[in-house]
Amino acid sequence: MPQQLAIIVLVDIANALEMKTLEGNTYLFDNMKLHGSEGEGTGELVTAIHGSYWRDGSQATEQVLNWLPYSLGSIPPTVPRGYEAERARQTDRQALTELESMVAKPGSQGTPEATLTQIQQTIGTRVKTTKRTRGPAGQKVLDVTGNVISYDGAAAHSYPPPVITDVYGEAVDKKIMYPAEYGSPDMVTDGWYWSATVDSTRPGTYTYTMAIQLHRLLLQGGDWMWEPVDLTCDSKLRITSEPKRNAFTKSGLGLLPIPPA
Amino acid sequence: MPPRAKTRENGRAPISITAVLDAVGALAAGTVRGQLYMYDTNKAGGSTGFGTEELRTRVRAGDRVLWNCLALECEAFVGIAGIDIDRSVIEPERQVYPGTDVAYWIGTVKKDDIDVVPYKIHFLVGTRAEPITTTLSPTLVG
Amino acid sequence: MAVKPQVSIIALVDVIGALSSRSLLDGNLVMIDDGSFASRAQGTPELCTIVQPGQVVQWTALAVDLQTPVEIKNIEFLRLQPAGQPAYPAPAPMGHPSAALPPTGPPSPAAAPYATGPGAYPPGPSGPAGVLAAPTTESEKLDLEIWAGVVPYYMAPGVAYRYRMEFQMYEGPYSVLYVETPSLMRI
Repeated sequence: MPQQLAIIVLVDIANALEMKTLEGNTYLFDNMKLHGSEGEGTGELVTAIHGSYWRDGSQATEQVLNWLPYSLGSIPPTVPRGYEAERARQTDRQALTELESMVAKPGSQGTPEATLTQIQQTIGTRVKTTKRTRGPAGQKVLDVTGNVISYDGAAAHSYPPPVITDVYGEAVDKKIMYPAEYGSPDMVTDGWYWSATVDSTRPGTYTYTMAIQLHRLLLQGGDWMWEPVDLTCDSKLRITSEPKRNAFTKSGLGLLPIPPA
Repeated sequence: MPPRAKTRENGRAPISITAVLDAVGALAAGTVRGQLYMYDTNKAGGSTGFGTEELRTRVRAGDRVLWNCLALECEAFVGIAGIDIDRSVIEPERQVYPGTDVAYWIGTVKKDDIDVVPYKIHFLVGTRAEPITTTLSPTLVG
Repeated sequence: MAVKPQVSIIALVDVIGALSSRSLLDGNLVMIDDGSFASRAQGTPELCTIVQPGQVVQWTALAVDLQTPVEIKNIEFLRLQPAGQPAYPAPAPMGHPSAALPPTGPPSPAAAPYATGPGAYPPGPSGPAGVLAAPTTESEKLDLEIWAGVVPYYMAPGVAYRYRMEFQMYEGPYSVLYVETPSLMRI
């Protein structure tokens, strides 16, 4: 089974939301530099897909592409995805403990107002979810160091990772690749990721587009909510295909080159 | 009305510097040269060199600067073992995201007029005990 | 007993582990086969696969982490010791990196046609017996190669024919590692 291709989509979310475009704010990578991918780390990635075929012309290898979206400057993807929910629970517990000790020993921790302010800061700002919210739910706002913050609209906060909502375009229309969304228990991908198999029998360069959803914090009716913002980003695949051959004979099957005894 | 956030020294957002490293490439080559792509969140403030090993991050006195890294191969491990930089400009310290063992480095810029300050990052890659150090220089610029 | 026409040998490589410690030992390489007979040392680099003449043996390399690259760079059968000596050459340093095969001089005319002594390496592609060594392929074409061949009839039964297996993991001075411990044996 050949190496699976991973395409990383690194989005500078703060600037993309500000400029209302992913162009110039998205950096693409893949793990196929060895096979000739170009534009690594830029918005102009051309992913090289090295296909192969048997002597009868049938496709020999099934190449699989996986897309991994990340948010630049936010908490890295290596931090487990349950993290935000876990932090929310931890800080809630902490706030309850502080509330308890305030009730049990009034006056020992300073004035009630100061203590309450302290507890409110511990709780932080929870983001409201509605039935329609597809994006990050039941969370609190975190800053880039993973600490829960009380959000007042100005402080820098960590963004949830960008979400790919669709993959389409020339490469899909021409049936060069067949993308679909898959579920995964992998912590890094938060349960859903886009993957595609590639038909490598038709060499050439093909464009495709990713529909990417970012989220911005918006104050609505006194509550903070994650509002989805839909943008698109283009990239390309370059397919090549070469014949497989026997490694010992450089052509067809033969005897193993074992030295005679 | 939620209380105001604790004010930072000058109210600006921390600047995050992210190093994207091809872990397999770095191990096979024995160097990060050609395998490293750096970015930061201060493009609007004038940072340049995005996607190269010679990122120039624009900073001012009082800015908090945060370094983290991630591997191209999502399951591979990369971490920062240390950062060599002029300590009169900034003293990065290792922290972990609370409740995890994932680390990042953070410091506060001590002064203005720093001109161009090059630094080295020592990366931990895979299970290799010895860190691999940057050969080209990213910089902080004032 | 019906014998399978093909035996598959799988080499499972922890690429990050192997490149980090620059070694295929300590679990970084697991070799298994699906042969009809009870091969020895399944799961280790010392795998001895039992085969019969006429069977096709095919080797495949797989990476534990599917996003890391590994290809078989070369498989070469080692020459045996002359009769009277142990069938195995004295153990060479195993799994250490080699960016290029060690150079060997031409054998002197009076010497046996077999290499002897510790660290016996097959002659390199440029050696006088280079006919048995496959010409090397550029690393980005290695994924086109099928490592398969037919077991020849002249294999002596009960003798372990050791082979050197080289793996290419990405590119660079530390990207090639090998072992010389796996073998084929005819019953």
